[in-house]
Amino acid sequence: MHILLTSAASPLAQMLAEQLATDHILRLTERQMMKAEHEFVLSDLGHDASTNLLVRGMDAIVHVDEMPAGADAGAQIDQATRCTYNLLLAAAAEGVKRVVYLSTLELMAAYDGDGYLHDTRWRPQPTTAPPTLTKYLGESTCKEFAREGKIAVSILRLAGDAKTESIVAAIIDALTGEHPVWHIVHIE
Amino acid sequence: MNVLILGGVGMLGPYVARHLAPHHNLRITDLTPPADPLPGEFVQVDVANRTQVLAAAEGMDAIINLSVLRHDRKLAFDVNTLGSYHVMEAAVAHGIRRVINTGPHFTLAGRSYEAFDYDLGPDIPPQPGTNLYALSKSLGQEICRVYTEHHDIFVQMYLFYNFRDPAEIEPGSRHAPFSISWENAAEVFSLGLAIPFEKLPSRCEVFNVFTDMPHGKFSNAKAKRVLGFQPKDDISELWKKTDTD
Repeated sequence: MHILLTSAASPLAQMLAEQLATDHILRLTERQMMKAEHEFVLSDLGHDASTNLLVRGMDAIVHVDEMPAGADAGAQIDQATRCTYNLLLAAAAEGVKRVVYLSTLELMAAYDGDGYLHDTRWRPQPTTAPPTLTKYLGESTCKEFAREGKIAVSILRLAGDAKTESIVAAIIDALTGEHPVWHIVHIE
Repeated sequence: MNVLILGGVGMLGPYVARHLAPHHNLRITDLTPPADPLPGEFVQVDVANRTQVLAAAEGMDAIINLSVLRHDRKLAFDVNTLGSYHVMEAAVAHGIRRVINTGPHFTLAGRSYEAFDYDLGPDIPPQPGTNLYALSKSLGQEICRVYTEHHDIFVQMYLFYNFRDPAEIEPGSRHAPFSISWENAAEVFSLGLAIPFEKLPSRCEVFNVFTDMPHGKFSNAKAKRVLGFQPKDDISELWKKTDTD
């Protein structure tokens, strides 16, 4: 499978790339140049045709949606919303089958505080700051594309200490299993 | 009350300013000054600039966000989404408890509702769809909602669809079943500034604001019930059969 991995310079994306590359053909993308062992495309996920070229030929996209440490909240909101919108719009136009969006289990942290055993059917509870606000907005952006049937979306909400192997297994399952057009998984 | 109006020079802004000016001190902001003077202080503010929004909100008791951008992908998210984030950050920073946000009807009721259903009120889960204007506004409103869950801020969201001068409406012309005149629309803002917080059902309330219409497609009942909004323009005659029909 041809997989595009965004935010390729982030530690999470680098760990995922190492494991996904054993069985899949990767295309990495990031906002700034970086050394890469796989095909690399420089992209700021803008709304021009370059984003269509970025996703062309891909079977799936793993949208890590991470920014460098220290990025301000406005930049993070911009990436989670506008850039995600541009990416999914291009992906839908280019026939990409599914987008896997990496979100955070911090969205459910308020239930932990109340001692609840929550699952994927419970309403996310974002706070007003990244990462939960931005990941919530990213999920919400993806949801509208799934709602309109433009592209299938899997949301993976990751615990902070989730094992890379578990994340990779969930990604592969999302991409190869029979799942609905809107699909949420919690990775503890 | 000292009221900050963001996007106060475009479209609805001048009507709102002129309606509120006799009773409130206005700070009107926009990217460019108005061609004709508006009542109140004017400050040049780009709502996508956090520093400018925070500075403009100093000393204010309420914020009315009329800013909007529809078609440019970068600017739509800057104004409609990021702009709402800056509004709420400013409200928190200055202890402003009253925010009125605005947007199109499909901030909530996008195609997945509008194409299928009737009696669409404002208390529905948002389904804006992927329309750029709808989604960017909806994300902005979600930011406002999240802030009300963590701060003592009351947000009212007024949804509009078509603005029409009743005198210019001709029988037989097509109009959205969610229309209002500019003057009638401006009146809802004084209601929103006056309503005691305890009369609002929660810290985040959405209202469909339009004149009474016979279609039954959307509902403005909540604006009338909670805010005391009074539709002024009776345009139901436009859809009455005539002797020649």
